[in-house]
Amino acid sequence: MSSFQRIQPPVHPFDAQIDIPLKSLALNNGARVFMIEAGTEDVIRIECVFRAGIIKENLPLLASSANMMLTEGSEKYTSEELNALLDYYGIFLNLQAERDTAGLTAYFLSRYFDKSLELIAEVLFSPVFPAKELEKLMKKRLNWFRINREKVQNIASDRFFESVFGQNHPYGRQVSEPDFDGMTPSLLRDFHSRLYRPEEMAVIVSGKIPGSASASLEKHFGGLRSEKIQNIETESILEGSPVRKEHIKKKGAVQTAIRIGAATINKRHPDYPGLKFLNVILGGYFGSRLMKNIREEKGYTYGIHSIVSSFDKSGFRMISTEVGRENAGKAVDEIKKEINLLLTIPVQADEIEVVSNYMAGELVRLFDGPMAIAESFKSAWEFGLDLSYFSTIMHTIRTITPEELLKLANTYYTTGDIYEITAG
Amino acid sequence: MIDFRSYRLDNGLRLLVHEDRSTPLVAMNVLYDAGSRDEDPSLTGMAHLVEHLMYCGTGNIPEYDLPLQLAGGENNAFTNNDITNYYLTLPSGNIETAFWLESDRMLAPDFTGRKLDVQKSVVIEEFKQRYLNQPYGDAMLRLRPLAYTTHPYRWPTIGIDPSHIERISLENVQHFFSRHYNPGKAILTLTGNITPDRAYDLAQLWFGSIPSGEQHDRSLPSEPVQTEERHMTVERDLPASALYKAWHMGPRSGSDFHTMDLITDLLAGGESGRLYNRVVRDLNLFSEINAYITSDLDPGLVIVTGKLMKGVNIEKAETAVIRVIDELKDTVPMDDEIDKVKNRYESSTVLSNTSILNKALNLSVFELLGDASRINREVENYRAVSKPMIKDAAIRHFNPENCSTLYYIASKKTGK
Repeated sequence: MSSFQRIQPPVHPFDAQIDIPLKSLALNNGARVFMIEAGTEDVIRIECVFRAGIIKENLPLLASSANMMLTEGSEKYTSEELNALLDYYGIFLNLQAERDTAGLTAYFLSRYFDKSLELIAEVLFSPVFPAKELEKLMKKRLNWFRINREKVQNIASDRFFESVFGQNHPYGRQVSEPDFDGMTPSLLRDFHSRLYRPEEMAVIVSGKIPGSASASLEKHFGGLRSEKIQNIETESILEGSPVRKEHIKKKGAVQTAIRIGAATINKRHPDYPGLKFLNVILGGYFGSRLMKNIREEKGYTYGIHSIVSSFDKSGFRMISTEVGRENAGKAVDEIKKEINLLLTIPVQADEIEVVSNYMAGELVRLFDGPMAIAESFKSAWEFGLDLSYFSTIMHTIRTITPEELLKLANTYYTTGDIYEITAG
Repeated sequence: MIDFRSYRLDNGLRLLVHEDRSTPLVAMNVLYDAGSRDEDPSLTGMAHLVEHLMYCGTGNIPEYDLPLQLAGGENNAFTNNDITNYYLTLPSGNIETAFWLESDRMLAPDFTGRKLDVQKSVVIEEFKQRYLNQPYGDAMLRLRPLAYTTHPYRWPTIGIDPSHIERISLENVQHFFSRHYNPGKAILTLTGNITPDRAYDLAQLWFGSIPSGEQHDRSLPSEPVQTEERHMTVERDLPASALYKAWHMGPRSGSDFHTMDLITDLLAGGESGRLYNRVVRDLNLFSEINAYITSDLDPGLVIVTGKLMKGVNIEKAETAVIRVIDELKDTVPMDDEIDKVKNRYESSTVLSNTSILNKALNLSVFELLGDASRINREVENYRAVSKPMIKDAAIRHFNPENCSTLYYIASKKTGK
């Protein structure tokens, strides 16, 4: 003990285990099922995915309203009965409508597998969209909307997406108060019958899956057929606003929200893993350059983050923070300074090593346990990619050079195309 | 069932280890028995500020995060009224890095004036971001001092006011640290891909030589029994009013804890709770309604909060809420309803146990309560709550003289 010294223990190399126990099958009607059997607890996660996201709507709020109405009454049950049943079996059900996909994720105990599937099928494929419930939902949503518009974060983010993707594209279009009057049961029914089709559903099951799972899935989902309906696809044009810099005034705000970024490539592009790496250096972890400068040195903010994210038809990079009003200008200057450093000075080897190990650790966490694996699987699958996407990231993490990073920065982080939105 | 081993080192440090070979990671949780209830009433926000400063390095390790990131790790921390809790995960091969980092900052963090100044600004920005610049963000800042007149739960963890944080000196920080951060006040928990023997050896090696420090008994002023209804109204430039009601209840280890938790789930758990059905679904008085217990270690609160629909009179909305709550006192719930909330509890517990971080935190909290093995009896404890217990607890708690009410009135003009 006396000879013990408090010196840093050696760091051992580690890599994520990316090959996962995935079983895929097709149900009788063509619905695809992916099963990830792992874990120690008797709990199941099921995610049902449809190409029914915001990109498919021709009116604001349509995709999310159709999704939120799924538990507001079905052929067999009223809204109240349906929710009581879901709660009775301890099923935690999250409805979700994102930019590209929509559906639900449910968590429940393995012993209620069959019952849960029965209820999920009722929710997804037998909603009746009662007018009265719809009216109540839209009133509630308007109430929430008004509250959310009081937050500088939301004001800045909404305007950011509108600027980057354009007000005529579902990725960018902002919601306004009159939109809450526009939803009708027939609009929702039409959206649902076109886009929530059992044959086109993908189901991702993970956890301690019972032996009877395939039979249950076939029983509750496999026999469902939808009417043949022509889907008329109209593609909206993605076109950013010519106004690059904008401030939205918010009376009484003590902080200013800052959003800076632009449209960029998505994860189908071969440069994407490298761009992710560059983004982590800039603002993707606690030790990032933006955090060090703007939080840990200047104390301007509680947090500052940079993300690179993918949509089906595009992608975006965005730096976001909230700072005291008096420091907003200085914070924007520092952000630009940090971007310029990435464009001009090669990243040092020791910083590459930190980010590389940090990202490798993140990859291990992305594959830790059945629920995490299911989410990772989906994040690649929805872009038509397989798990080799993650192997590519692993490879990039381990091999990227300062020269490649400099080239990536000068390709994807030039400041000519950036939008600078502030609210406060 | 969560199997674990427990140890106590000579310096008083408690160690818990739960081995789970299904993960490539190890989670480490370090719980300090120090929260905002331990603060000087004129320097509130101290415990949370110290949490920030604990990341600013030691004499030996200039920066906490850098070596952790190099080892593939990730960490965070939180402070509440009762505890300050630090947690991290790492690939199992690098777990010794966590022992080195956590033991070094328990031994001797390097607080300086410059670091203190920066973290004070960061925390003040956090104060603004989460409490002052958010709609309803200051509601709990108002409700706490209404519900508590004496006990330190009367102030929030972030502090009473940014001026308290500004006032904290380096000496104040040193004093708080030396009083509360030592092995006798800490619980070290490891979960995941590590054997108990290895965890014990590493704990002995890295933490064993840290001096146990002075131990002080906690003597906090206890809250007198409330005997009169309390009421406060604030007006804000917002589009929707909100109602907050708080009733006193017993401590985390008290006999009513599980019953009160289930009551809040009966009232507002999921979208089939009684309050949801009545005041949101049927009467459209609220756009959302919540009920929860604060789960504080000392006697805590049952809280009901809701956002009102536009144009609804707040007194009318409140009457409707009280009527639903009063029904708990008059009749016992149906079997199905009781089974429902117990099933929901079981589901959420099993789900929570899929995470090594959750398991580590829960083990640590139960150990602080006196017995880590309670983690395996909680589902049973909830299952044991009976219909008469619910009625009886409702009668004892939900009285006007035990209640504090905050009307958060919206004065913003909106269309329609």
